[in-house]
Amino acid sequence: MSVITTRIGGFPVQDEQALVHRAQDGDKEAFAELYEAFFDRVYRYLLVRIGNRVEAEDMTQQVFLKAYKSVPSYRWRGVPFSAWLFRIAHNLVVDFFRRESKRPAVPLDESIAVADDDPQDTVERRMDVERVMAASQELTAAQREVISLRFAGGLAIAETARVMGKSEGAIKALQHSAIAALRRTLLAEESNDKG
Amino acid sequence: MTKDKRFDSILDNCLERLLSGEESVEQCLDRYPEYSAELEPLLRTALVTQQVASIEPSRDFRARARYRLRSEMTTVRKSSWRSFLTWQPRWAVVVAAVLAVLIAGSGTVMAADSSMPGNPLYPVKLATENVRLSLTSSDVAKAELYATLANRRVAEIAHAVEKNKAKHVQRVTERLNEHLARMARLSLTAERAPAAVPEKTAGQEPSVSDEPSTEKDLPESTTAAERPAATSDAARSAAPAPEAIAWQKERARLQVLLGHYAVNHPEKLRELLTKAPPSARPAILRAISVSVATYRKALEELGQQETEPPPNNDRPQSRGQGENSPANGTAPQTWPHSIPAPEGGLRQQPAESPTGQQAPRLQPFSSAKPDLTLP
Repeated sequence: MSVITTRIGGFPVQDEQALVHRAQDGDKEAFAELYEAFFDRVYRYLLVRIGNRVEAEDMTQQVFLKAYKSVPSYRWRGVPFSAWLFRIAHNLVVDFFRRESKRPAVPLDESIAVADDDPQDTVERRMDVERVMAASQELTAAQREVISLRFAGGLAIAETARVMGKSEGAIKALQHSAIAALRRTLLAEESNDKG
Repeated sequence: MTKDKRFDSILDNCLERLLSGEESVEQCLDRYPEYSAELEPLLRTALVTQQVASIEPSRDFRARARYRLRSEMTTVRKSSWRSFLTWQPRWAVVVAAVLAVLIAGSGTVMAADSSMPGNPLYPVKLATENVRLSLTSSDVAKAELYATLANRRVAEIAHAVEKNKAKHVQRVTERLNEHLARMARLSLTAERAPAAVPEKTAGQEPSVSDEPSTEKDLPESTTAAERPAATSDAARSAAPAPEAIAWQKERARLQVLLGHYAVNHPEKLRELLTKAPPSARPAILRAISVSVATYRKALEELGQQETEPPPNNDRPQSRGQGENSPANGTAPQTWPHSIPAPEGGLRQQPAESPTGQQAPRLQPFSSAKPDLTLP
């Protein structure tokens, strides 16, 4: 089992634990720090996983409210806060698809904001994001979950395994098959565009 | 370790280094020359996929979410040390309602109501709308409010087009789409009808569990069609409750309003498309398609009343039974009341098929002009 560490916008493990303990003691500022650190990552994960901005926004808010209410019951037990938080998000996603499969889908607005530090990069970045999000529609639910957690949520393999309730080996295999499937779809789309 | 497992681990090792910026694709391939042919295409695809990490929440959403969390944190804290005061939530709502009424009567808010994007009072207008939304509980009433707000946004888009303000057009169309999207997620079907029989039947108390942790708690298992026949029979023989009649009227009024907007809004937006600055046109085009689809869906749900009579529940439909209820933790407009148990509470992934939409049918609507004032 590899060591669980938080990456991309997370904290060193000790700092994260200290913040969580303060939040559990009712320190709002500590929770606000955790919120700021994970907000973008949770939103990204939900957006890539669901593909709908409005739903992702609503669910992001739900994740943090649920987390705020249940943080007193959180216990470390080797599960970092990030994995615990993303599991709340994962459960909401599962409920969402369960619900959506029973009612007609409505085409919704999908305007997605990306980092706009450089205008030239922004255009290309947005195109890549749109291509990846479109291609990810062709993945299985588990493959898409892995891609969303790893690439959008910025979780490590061990954390992804915790969130999805699978072994690290299974997640690595899923990650491999997901990237291979994405590649096939992206190539097919490119050849369609050229043809 | 099998060859496949070894390759999966090597790929993951390269990905970790690549995504953290520690190594380039070439450096990784140099470390594993025997796998380079297989690794390279996957790593190149991973680099493209990594762009999803550049997705950012909009400023507007970030601000809204922060505000909402802060408000909730205050409420949760208060309720935790005053939890013995069981009347507290109702008391809080009453105070909020009184404040909203007082605010609504003030000159500033009345002036803000007619303000347009770019006007200093415009944020007051949006804030007042949010207060009204938070004080509206039923899905039908909420849908009516969203439709009315959508109508406001269309008027604001027209104003922005007239002033040649492309940025304002884009922002307001985003808000319009958001209102419509939220309206689309409300449940307007007759399944949510209030009781025809006011009395409760013993033993028929619906489950009020906070989360649908098992299949039995899923919304469809609590529909009237699956309730015991005895309850339905008893209900059918009873006269409709005043609550049910009022609800029917509310739905009828909403149907008229949406029927009007289903035609009026896309038409108005199409008109504006020709006059709008070129950079604002894609946003208007998107708003047209969203409005057409959303109104159709809503009217379709409202139209079900004609062919599918409301169920005869043994008590007014609990929020805990509907798809949008806070009880299942998925309500779009209300915060969940329950605490999730993510540690060990992992849900199984269901088959994912949100598509398969049937061709929506536009319902007939009255030509009567709806009342355009905010409820």
